[in-house]
Formats: sequence, structure tokens, C-alpha cells
Amino acid sequence: MIKHQVYISPNEVKVNGKSLTINGCGSTILTELYRSQVGDYPKFFKMDTLSKVGFIASELLLNAEGYRGFEPREDRAVIFFNRNASLQADTHYQSTIQNPENYFPSPAAFVYTLPNIVTGEIAIRNKYFGETSFMVIDDFDEKIIMKNLENAFQDPITKSIIGGWVDCSDEEHFEARIFLMEKDN
Amino acid sequence: MDELIYKLKQQIIEALNLEDMKPEDIDDNASLFGEGLGLDSIDALELIVMMEKNYGIKLQDPAQGKEIFKSVAVMADFIAKNRTK
Repeated sequence: MIKHQVYISPNEVKVNGKSLTINGCGSTILTELYRSQVGDYPKFFKMDTLSKVGFIASELLLNAEGYRGFEPREDRAVIFFNRNASLQADTHYQSTIQNPENYFPSPAAFVYTLPNIVTGEIAIRNKYFGETSFMVIDDFDEKIIMKNLENAFQDPITKSIIGGWVDCSDEEHFEARIFLMEKDN
Repeated sequence: MDELIYKLKQQIIEALNLEDMKPEDIDDNASLFGEGLGLDSIDALELIVMMEKNYGIKLQDPAQGKEIFKSVAVMADFIAKNRTK
């Protein structure tokens, strides 16, 4: 059962279907949302855009859930899907090694060159020790996403999932459609 | 040395995306890791790259970083003595 949902695009943010007022557009809204809705996790500024989108979406989702205990738990999974994997981080890292005359590979850029880092960022922030995975599929496909999430409930540990679509092709093109889903009794 | 320390602080803030921080917020002698600025191991690697890029210093042994990155003052002193650009 889906309990809460969040939608983020470069010009629209919705929590449980209700639009949030945002002043900027594009990637500036991520910083705007961080400052207005989070504010206590400076590691946000080190993240690539995909991780920022997933992180902010998860924060809005968990704020909507209410209680933020940050206690370690194994029963909540983080499972995301997208189309562009970590393309923006890959391109950024490539730019640090493109020129042989100016060849300075950035370790901080390199660590984000995998899409599943965003699930790790969310798990670290919230002390989740359950399943985390990130699947790359052709396009947003609700059937594929729901089937995979339902499968995740087959294990005896997972009772809830932060799941859905988190995609980013560059700093100005991104989308999150994520939700908090609980196992049906 | 004061000028180098100030510039180094600006470069650290930029290299490590310490968005909400100004050079004035960083104590010359405060620890960069752990309790001080709270930097992590990836930040240490980024500082090694930053020193090579801006000052032409190539650390042969990454373990040297433990001593060099004790504080901005220690780092500035090392740079002043070893810089090639």
C-alpha cells in the first residue's frame, strides 16, 4: 500500500499531490528545498545532481511520514529505477580527465559515477540497513517498477520500501516520482 | 604566509563544496578531519589532487596526507616549502 508520494521536476514539486511553493527552477530548486526543508546535512552539497534529487525527494517523503527517528532499522528498503543511470556524474568526471594537459581526475566526482550511490546516500542518512538497489530500465514503466517492488516484499525482513523513479540527464533535466510503500498484511 | 593560508582556505572550500562556509569560519589550527571540519577520506583524496593542480605538489605516499592535512596552517607550511608553481 502506498502511504506517501513525492514528485519533483525542474519546475514542480508535489508532496502527496499537493504542490509546494518554489521560487526558482532547474537545479536551484534542489538547493532551495534543501535550505527550506532539510538544512542539517551539509553532505548534500557534495552530491551529484541525481543524488541530490533522490535525497531531497526522500527527505520530503519522510517528512510527510512524520517521525524522523534516525534509529537503525533493517525493515525498510530503498529501491529506485531510472533511464539515464549516472550520466550527469559520468559526464562531469569525464570532464576532469578529458584534457591530457589538465588531467586531474576528481575523486569526489568519481564516487558518484554509479546510480546506486543515491540509494546508499539515503540509507546512510536514515540508518537503513535493509535492501538497496537501483535498476536501469528503458523508460518509466509502472508495471515493471511495481512488480520489482512487490518482489522485494517476498523476503521476511522488508516491511516498507522507499521506491520509484529517480532520473537525471543533466543539471537542468531531472525527475523524481517516489513513494513510501508498506507491505500489505 | 597569511595570504597563502587565506587562499588555501578559499581553495579548500571550493574543492570540497563546503557551501555554507567562508574562509573566516576555518580556524588556522583546527583539525581538518574528525572533530574539526569533519572531512572524510574522499575529501583527503580531493585535497591531494588540489595540491597537485594548484601548487604542483605530487604526494608520493598518500599516507603523508595524515601529517600534512592536520590543519590549514600545517598544510600551508608544507605547500610553502614544497610548491613548484
